[in-house]
Amino acid sequence: MLLWNHYPLIWTLKKAHAMPIHIAQRLIDSACQVILGKEHAVRLALSCLLARGHLLIEDLPGVGKTTLAHLLARLLGLQFQRIQFTSDLLPADILGVSVFDQRDGQFRFHPGPIFAQLVLADEINRATPKAQSALLEAMEERQISAEGQTWPLPSPFFVIATQNPSEQIGTFPLPESQLDRFLMCISLGYPSPEAERALLAGDDRRDLLARLPAELQPGELDTLLAAVRAIHVAPRLLDYLQALLTHSRESADFSSGLSPRAGLALLAASRAWALLAGRDHVLPEDVQAVLPAVAGHRLRTGSSGALSAEQLSRRLLEAVPLP
Amino acid sequence: MRAARSPRRILERWLFRVGDPEPSPVQLGQRRIFVLPTSFGLALGASLLVMLLASINYNLSLGFALTFLIAGTAWVSIHHAFRTLIHLGVRAGRSPAVFLGEAAVFSVILDNPADRHRRGLQLWPTGSPSPEETFDLSPDTTQVIKITVATHSRGWLQLPRLTLESRYPLGLIRAWSLFQPELRCLVYPALEQHSPSLPFGDGPRPGDRGRQGGTDDFAGLRHHQPADSPRHIAWKAVARGAPWQTKEFEGHSARVIWLDWNTLPPSMDVETRLSRLARWVVEAERAGVDYGLRLPGSSHPPGQGEPHRHACLKMLALHGSPGHD
Amino acid sequence: MVRPDMTKPSLRPDQTGWLIAAAGLSLAPHASHLPLAISALCLLLLLWRGLLNHRGAPLPSRSLLLLIVAVMASLVLLEFRHFFGKDPGIALLAGLLSLKLLETRSPRDGRAVLLLSFFMQLGQFLYQQHMGIAALALMGTLAAVGAMLALQGRPEPVGQRIRVAGTLVLQGLPLMVVLFVLFPRVPGPLWGLPADAFNRSTGLSDTMTPGDIAHLSESGAIAFRAAFQGASPPPPAERYWRGPVLSRFDGRSWHQGPTTRLSKPAYTPQGPAHSYILTLEPHNQRWLLALDFPASAPERIHTDNFQLLAREPVRERVRLALVSYPQTPVGLQERTVTLSEALTLPPTGNPRTRALGERLRTQVTRPEDIPDHLITFFRQSRLTYTLSPQALGEDDVDSFLFDTRQGFCEHFAGAFVFALRAAGVPARVVTGYQGGELNPVDGTLVVRQSDAHAWTEVWLEGRGWVRIDPTAAAAPRRLEDGLAAALGGEGRIPLLARGDLVWLKALRNQFDALNNRWNQWVLGYNQGRQQEMMAWLGLHQAGWQELAALMSGALGLVMAVLAGWILRNRHKIDPIDRSWLTFCRRLSALGFPRQSWEGPIEYTRRVSTLRADLADPVLAIGTGYALLRYGQNPADHALLHRFHQSVKRFRPR
Repeated sequence: MLLWNHYPLIWTLKKAHAMPIHIAQRLIDSACQVILGKEHAVRLALSCLLARGHLLIEDLPGVGKTTLAHLLARLLGLQFQRIQFTSDLLPADILGVSVFDQRDGQFRFHPGPIFAQLVLADEINRATPKAQSALLEAMEERQISAEGQTWPLPSPFFVIATQNPSEQIGTFPLPESQLDRFLMCISLGYPSPEAERALLAGDDRRDLLARLPAELQPGELDTLLAAVRAIHVAPRLLDYLQALLTHSRESADFSSGLSPRAGLALLAASRAWALLAGRDHVLPEDVQAVLPAVAGHRLRTGSSGALSAEQLSRRLLEAVPLP
Repeated sequence: MRAARSPRRILERWLFRVGDPEPSPVQLGQRRIFVLPTSFGLALGASLLVMLLASINYNLSLGFALTFLIAGTAWVSIHHAFRTLIHLGVRAGRSPAVFLGEAAVFSVILDNPADRHRRGLQLWPTGSPSPEETFDLSPDTTQVIKITVATHSRGWLQLPRLTLESRYPLGLIRAWSLFQPELRCLVYPALEQHSPSLPFGDGPRPGDRGRQGGTDDFAGLRHHQPADSPRHIAWKAVARGAPWQTKEFEGHSARVIWLDWNTLPPSMDVETRLSRLARWVVEAERAGVDYGLRLPGSSHPPGQGEPHRHACLKMLALHGSPGHD
Repeated sequence: MVRPDMTKPSLRPDQTGWLIAAAGLSLAPHASHLPLAISALCLLLLLWRGLLNHRGAPLPSRSLLLLIVAVMASLVLLEFRHFFGKDPGIALLAGLLSLKLLETRSPRDGRAVLLLSFFMQLGQFLYQQHMGIAALALMGTLAAVGAMLALQGRPEPVGQRIRVAGTLVLQGLPLMVVLFVLFPRVPGPLWGLPADAFNRSTGLSDTMTPGDIAHLSESGAIAFRAAFQGASPPPPAERYWRGPVLSRFDGRSWHQGPTTRLSKPAYTPQGPAHSYILTLEPHNQRWLLALDFPASAPERIHTDNFQLLAREPVRERVRLALVSYPQTPVGLQERTVTLSEALTLPPTGNPRTRALGERLRTQVTRPEDIPDHLITFFRQSRLTYTLSPQALGEDDVDSFLFDTRQGFCEHFAGAFVFALRAAGVPARVVTGYQGGELNPVDGTLVVRQSDAHAWTEVWLEGRGWVRIDPTAAAAPRRLEDGLAAALGGEGRIPLLARGDLVWLKALRNQFDALNNRWNQWVLGYNQGRQQEMMAWLGLHQAGWQELAALMSGALGLVMAVLAGWILRNRHKIDPIDRSWLTFCRRLSALGFPRQSWEGPIEYTRRVSTLRADLADPVLAIGTGYALLRYGQNPADHALLHRFHQSVKRFRPR
């Protein structure tokens, strides 16, 4: 899709930003060694995390969702936890429980698996809404409260949730309000024939992953996150962004428009995408690149009939002209 | 559904170049804008004529000047009125579905691409009384105008032809344009007022468990058994010194109800049936149960959620009308 | 399509304010002629309405308004005795307009007020049309347009509203000018005018009683202007502008005798000629006050006593192109009827003057020497020239010549003629204007009412009628330097006719010149002027058809400009975007149009893959635009320059 690695770096790079950009490039190169032929998805996933957002991966089993989550944790040097969501999962199974310590006659909080920097919530739509909302509230507030006390979650804190769209029976699709808490919703899709061939012929991904060294030194992630915030956004770009939001709210193509939160998400993701592309400013192309992932799960088709997320965002994108 | 081709309709069609609903965006070009004097404009015209005759009669040079100055200003106001409307863009916005009897609300989007204000605009369905208030468009903005239309039958309701008018600046000239953007509103059947409660058929009724439609998973406590998971022990109760108990949780049993046309009394007419089914759809959605819909010749599999509700109501709304969608 | 008003919206305070302003401005100038009581009542009503508006108080009840209508009507009746005609009509209209404001509740009422205001503005032109009134009318129009805007739009600051109204009026101005200049003018009234349509204007009358001209001299109003073409005007002593010739004396007043109307002058013009344009203020009489002695003027009437008359009383300002020959001998062969009338005296009265005449007749052998002797007598009598002579006795002439010895020109002329007739020399009084003042600003000679004068004509065998000005005997400076010089420091002469205030005089000259132009070109713009204008444009003998065609053409032109202004839909576009759009247009011409939503990088990348040969410049321009538009340093001048240059040089094929 929209890749332009050849965008001349010399024009844009400033000394102060050279560091983050090199780190970002290193990250992408490493990731592409493990996940073959999925550079776009990897970039999106990375942008999502660099924009401090949570990621929802919607895809069939076996296309590498879990591998991608592992890889990201590995690359960013984050402490990783995986929670397999099932129908009998209880909120306490995620957040942790207070256990009565008989020795000192007091309750002691046993932190749940959510106390990690990167949490993979696998097949989130299998759990009951109560369990789902426990996770989602923790995602939003970045802390949990139990027994009248609050415990902050580690920082940074990312959640990568996966769900299987093809299964209908016995699942609880995330309600719209919950979907909005994920900055992006992406899908991986089947690999291309070449990638598949390489996959079949090459080493086991898990081994590869295990061998992969943590890319980021301590502190480098913070540098990256700060760099994303420093990416320049021109007034003209804000105009464009606003036009997109306004159109989504007014047009008959969509039954509900993008929320202000979605607007912020779009801006943050565009910044991260621009950083990964090696630029210190956001272009309309950056917005367009992240738009399907950011807006797709938030837009609802209007009276015009059922459209996929990709089609919806395409329609939004093409309706708003650029000068 | 084609309107009767009355002479008036044909005249309008020829005069105002209006036809079938147009796809968005509609651009208001020169040929779509019409200007005629208002009654005040006509009165001023008559007054100016009298003033001119008086000026000729008494040979009042300044009388000529005054008459011509007012006439010139009035003439310029024609151009201003024209300029208020020209190059405006009209787009269809959204029109959320409503139940029959509620007013349909159409959003019409007006684009002002020019760097000047457009003042004193009014937009209303052609033929109905014009609204009292006017609105202005700021330079380089778009504005959403809501058009409210009463609903009289279920099914698709096309946005009626609209009149956009301005009498700005002097109220002497009325400039207007007629257009009909392609925009439809789905009108669900009316909700039946006093309908019997939901037809919970074969499955267990939610009422059996004393709680109506709970999606909650905590169902209650029972005596502790050694095999129970320690996670499910009601620790708080234990701490208070109560006997050991285990929290019991529901699995989400698949409660499904079918809202079926054929189960309704045969004496009911079509619209009443649809009204009742519509009411049931709304209630089933509110109760949080899975529901399916069966109509003669079509059906919708069980489910819930907003899209599902919409699909069911749409099926009801369009029942019997050829060419769904 | 008229829709019934569902509810009548009430007026906002700002709307009412504008209406009061518009009505007030159209009423204000009427105060100069309306009876004081009615002016005061109108002012009171306006103030009341303003107060109610300010306080947001309810309007008075209908019965109270009816009462005021009755008061108003009785006031008018009291002043004018009837309701018909111009003056009572205007007075009633003024009252109604003020009252209408007090029952103005809806925009509809407001619009009626505005139409009434327009009529009131027109009405004031019946009384006065000077520049100040025009300015006031313009302000009134502005206020009325402001009121229309207020009735139609939202509340706005006053300054803003005036600006919008001013723009509208300014845009209407070209149309006004075209219509004013080219609308075919028709002369004369279309229907009968009310009896009081024209005010009694100041000016000479056809009788002369002692004190008349002195009274007239107190007015500084302009009687007429003369613009001499080519050469300078004749010297002051030759500037005698002939008005009524008075040959009958009834013992107290001088009257016109019977005259014969001729289509040609009764003399053959001789000597040096002066051609000039006379612009005569309306005086509601027929004499045209030509400089002695006018050559044949078509369309005018000559009389046997050398007056030039119009066919109709002069009710509007007229412009006459005239040629005069001051040294023409006139009346060489005079009819005996005229001569005998020029000798007639009333049977009784003024015995001392009669005796003086008898003495002259007997003492002087040659009748043509008698006037000189009489002049000598006048001089020796030490007569005083004054605006305010002492009251005269029973016999005016005797009293003036032998008792009071103070008088104004009519005394001098009357006494002179009386004495000559008594001496058997035919003589008559001529009234008119003498002198005039040259305005250095535009070179026209301005003659005022204060220049009104009376002199005499004496008929001498072989020389015909000879002008003799007895006033000159007493006050020679009257001829050379005007009234003020002749009278010395007398305070009753008009301020502007006084000579000592130099700066005031300069100011007056400026103003007069401006006023003259105003009169000539605005107020005096009539059919004749229109024809002149057409001739100047090369359209001789333009009928109304040609005028109408020309007017339509000019109107079309103005409207085309307006239409162009409407359709102009240009956006202010910055140079970077303009270059970028140029670039996109050029690529589009090659068959690679940019999608409306396509960003610069993606577009140029797409094009560069399709046209590898253009890749370098295209990518450079694309990245340049992206950097300039979205980058951190948009003001990078080197980059900006490079970008513009690349686009300029980019002409792909």
